[in-house]
Amino acid sequence: MDALIAKADAAQPLSNKRKRTHHSNPKPGPSRKPDKTSVSIIKNTSLPHSLRSRTNETVDAPQYKHIANPKLRRSLVKTSTHIAQSQALLSDAVDLLPSEESGFAQAEDPLERTWRLSQADIVKQAGGEAARGRQEMKLDGGPYRVRYTKNGRHMAIVGRTGHVASFDTLTGAVHSELQLGETCNDVVFLQDHSFYAVAQQKYAFIYDRDGVEIHKLKAHISPMRLEFLPFHWLLASVGSAGYLKYQDTSTGQLVAEHRTALGACSVLTQNPHNAVLYLGHQNGCVTLWTPNLPHPAVKVLAHLGPLSSVSVDPSENGRYMATAGKDGSVKVWDCRNWKGAVREWTLRSSGKGGAEVEWSQKGLLAIGSGGSINMYTSPSIKTPHHPSSQPPLYLTHPLPSASHRPITSLRFAPLQDILTIGHARGTSSILVPGAGEGGMDTGEGLDLYEGVKGRREREVRGLLDKIQPDMITLDPELVGSLAPPSKLTTNTSGGSGSSRAAEIPFARLPRAERLRVSGKADLTEEGVSDADLSDASDSTKPQVVNKEEKEKKKMRGKGKSLKRYLRKQRKNVIDPAAVAIRAKIEKQKAERKAEIRKVKYGDEPQEKSSALDRFRRTSKE
Amino acid sequence: MVKVSVLQHDLSAHTATRPGDPTPVSRNLNPLMHPFSRARERTRALNAAKMDRMFSKPFVGALEGHIDAVEVLAKQGDSLSTVASGSWDGGVIVHNLSQRTHIARLPQAHKGKVTGLCFAGDSRLLSCGVDRNVKLWKIASDEPLNVFPGKYAFNSIDHQRSSSLFATASTLVQIWDETKSAPISNLTFPTSTETISSVRFNLSESSILASVGSDRTFTLYDIRTGKAERRVVMQMRANALSWSPTFPTNILLASEDHNLYAFDIRRLDAPSLIYKGHVAAVMSCDWSPTGTEFVSGGWDRTVRIWQTGQGHSPEVYHTKRMQRVTSTLFTNDARFVLSGSDDGNVRIWKGKASERLGIVTARERAAIEYRSSLVDRWKMDREVGKVVRTRHLPKPVYAANKLKNTMLESRRVKEERRRKHTRAGESKPKSERKKVILAEQS
Repeated sequence: MDALIAKADAAQPLSNKRKRTHHSNPKPGPSRKPDKTSVSIIKNTSLPHSLRSRTNETVDAPQYKHIANPKLRRSLVKTSTHIAQSQALLSDAVDLLPSEESGFAQAEDPLERTWRLSQADIVKQAGGEAARGRQEMKLDGGPYRVRYTKNGRHMAIVGRTGHVASFDTLTGAVHSELQLGETCNDVVFLQDHSFYAVAQQKYAFIYDRDGVEIHKLKAHISPMRLEFLPFHWLLASVGSAGYLKYQDTSTGQLVAEHRTALGACSVLTQNPHNAVLYLGHQNGCVTLWTPNLPHPAVKVLAHLGPLSSVSVDPSENGRYMATAGKDGSVKVWDCRNWKGAVREWTLRSSGKGGAEVEWSQKGLLAIGSGGSINMYTSPSIKTPHHPSSQPPLYLTHPLPSASHRPITSLRFAPLQDILTIGHARGTSSILVPGAGEGGMDTGEGLDLYEGVKGRREREVRGLLDKIQPDMITLDPELVGSLAPPSKLTTNTSGGSGSSRAAEIPFARLPRAERLRVSGKADLTEEGVSDADLSDASDSTKPQVVNKEEKEKKKMRGKGKSLKRYLRKQRKNVIDPAAVAIRAKIEKQKAERKAEIRKVKYGDEPQEKSSALDRFRRTSKE
Repeated sequence: MVKVSVLQHDLSAHTATRPGDPTPVSRNLNPLMHPFSRARERTRALNAAKMDRMFSKPFVGALEGHIDAVEVLAKQGDSLSTVASGSWDGGVIVHNLSQRTHIARLPQAHKGKVTGLCFAGDSRLLSCGVDRNVKLWKIASDEPLNVFPGKYAFNSIDHQRSSSLFATASTLVQIWDETKSAPISNLTFPTSTETISSVRFNLSESSILASVGSDRTFTLYDIRTGKAERRVVMQMRANALSWSPTFPTNILLASEDHNLYAFDIRRLDAPSLIYKGHVAAVMSCDWSPTGTEFVSGGWDRTVRIWQTGQGHSPEVYHTKRMQRVTSTLFTNDARFVLSGSDDGNVRIWKGKASERLGIVTARERAAIEYRSSLVDRWKMDREVGKVVRTRHLPKPVYAANKLKNTMLESRRVKEERRRKHTRAGESKPKSERKKVILAEQS
């Protein structure tokens, strides 16, 4: 019995034992004889960076020394080390992986301007395969709208008179061509090029690649615009009745139906990073919608007059939005705070249809208005600039003739430097250097040369990973983040909540609270920042200061005696002395504020004189 | 001159050069190219958790042969497939697990029920019964090699792994030698008048012996000193015990009060962990040979598999026809669990409910591992966690669990109220672990 206990006490934990043997026996014994094969190749080879053991490398992961529970500490350290290691590996991979460069247009001479480049120049300089991106299609079906698939390989066009076609842009092979014979407003590809939906006069219809009608979506009545959310498998439409409808294309269910109550709507776009739909209305409002909210998540009055186009920047997590109104102005908005537009300017020739706006993958903004398309690069359009002047132009492209007007659609081709313009005489594709993302990703389906098997595989995987529609939120990082703290108060220390806390028995308190009550809580984590900030003498003092002491301290400092005097006065008695003191305090406050402002902004006149000043009451009267 | 470069993709880098070649895979690590990666991973985790539940078909098969309830099960130390079972009808059957056949049948091994079984070295079996005999069998033959007559009905038997000694439990613990017909020593605690229900040798220090008895006691003996070393009186009696195969000082008791208690024998004043989950008395327990999990069978007709160190939410196995589980066993490969129950069947279950039997290809294994790590990563998510945690229970077990919770809650509330109305500091709340032990004697 005692022998067993003695042995058990003497026995070391397994991990320690292993470590010790490893250290004490560094030289290879007879059993560790090096392998001949590996010796022969070791001179000429090296392990890939990603496969090398990182145990001896120091990763600066937190060690969690303040946590007493060894099991918890170990798992935390393990997790943080793993994260640090994988981040290091990721940074390695970014360096090592070949990344295809993106295109650009740079002026070598300070007097040169990139916007002077014509398409002919660009085509001449691009040469080869890239030059084939410049194409003109002359079609008679009225103003056209255009749509690309996710990988930018296939394109669908729809003419107002009912001409629908889908084709492969690389080979030029036409998949299907339909003459529907009724007004068609929009076209959108579903998960890939094998299905597309068309917004027709009465309903939306789904066609397969060969142009066979698959579904008639009777719920979508007289749709104007369509949008497909690829990760949620939702087809959304908005129409002349002003209803936004979501239909799940994998199950066929109508997921949500929102009444916008803002009349007919013909502007719809999606934010690809959080799957929120942006609607532009006749009254100048832009509204943001999710399936799980019956009212808009955000509603902004963007323009004075109807909206003509809205687009969301995919290059910065959907942070910026561009809107164009029929009032002839374009505004760029920051979607994190809606305090007015970041930048706005007026278009020279907006035409009667209003302008079209579209962001490219790399954050290029194209604006098509009147008879020309102007393109702007990123930093200048997103920096606040007060006078409403045009940002510096990057490229411009005029349509060949006035008969091409109006421009009804602008689409950048993903993964390519191509912008396709839909207009009254067909479509034209122009080259825009620096518009497309260079690196392809096979797993995400962002592959221009994706094969049939890859496409099928991706379709199945996409269905398995389908995100439920009610998980669409403004903040896409909400999933998997920490839950908000519980509203149930369990504060057991004194104060107003103590009576309630007393009702909760000790055994039913949360663990952290129980530890705190029993004095075993780990306060080091909170203490660290305090200790760093305050002096050593301060940190030794008890942190808790009772109310009286606080009050006493508050009395000190300059100019507080007036306030103390006021506090002692009775509030409901109007005493001329007290009134005077109150006025004096107000005056001092204003002076202090002015001083601070002066330090901050320099001395310039704070308020501009306005026409309404004449009605202002002077303070002396 | 304005320098212009237009994006151009190399076709040969993205397509297979010859037919039959694998398509080149390209990766773009820019997070903007992977929207909703977290939400998609969560969906994948949820699917993985659901698939795990869908694939969980733990029942492998039943070994028939007994006419009456199965009372004991015993495994052979160095064999993966040989298992013996003893029944209330006095019969003993030696099963081959992999072929599900009978290696040996001893229909009348004892008169009355067989209460104890254990293997004694190579192909020999020791059995004891209420007929006051211990019999030593050669597995192939029908006649016992030796019969050891005792004075009292025996309740349990255990053989030392590396010698010819074995211990029996009746009103006292007796140590026998295979070569001698009378017990070589009697071990009792001086003041005890109890019936010992189970006895087990320590696996590492083979002279140490532990027993549990009807006096609500748990006793430790040493053969060399020939006396009881420690004794602990608990709130309720324990039905079975099992020594940990990896930590020699750890022992597990299956108690009548629905709980399992893990003890470190260096500190007998409180159990090191309480395993709560059964809704009736726990009748048996057995460690997996890895020591990371153990199995228990209960009066509530369920078999439960516990992870060491996790005192709650065990895996629950049940079937319609399985009655009170009297004996359980973990097989020596740690993959299967056996249960013997009142309905006379020995059942084989998988140790991991959703494990796939048979050959698993490398791709499949990778997928399984990926799924399990996904579930592990997302188990804090409300929906994923719910799928992972929830187990379907038979209605009576579910109702009993609810009733038990209600009773415990009301007891707790009463205690709390009583404490609130006594003078402050007069009665302190006692921790659950401290409540278990009534007295420690030595």
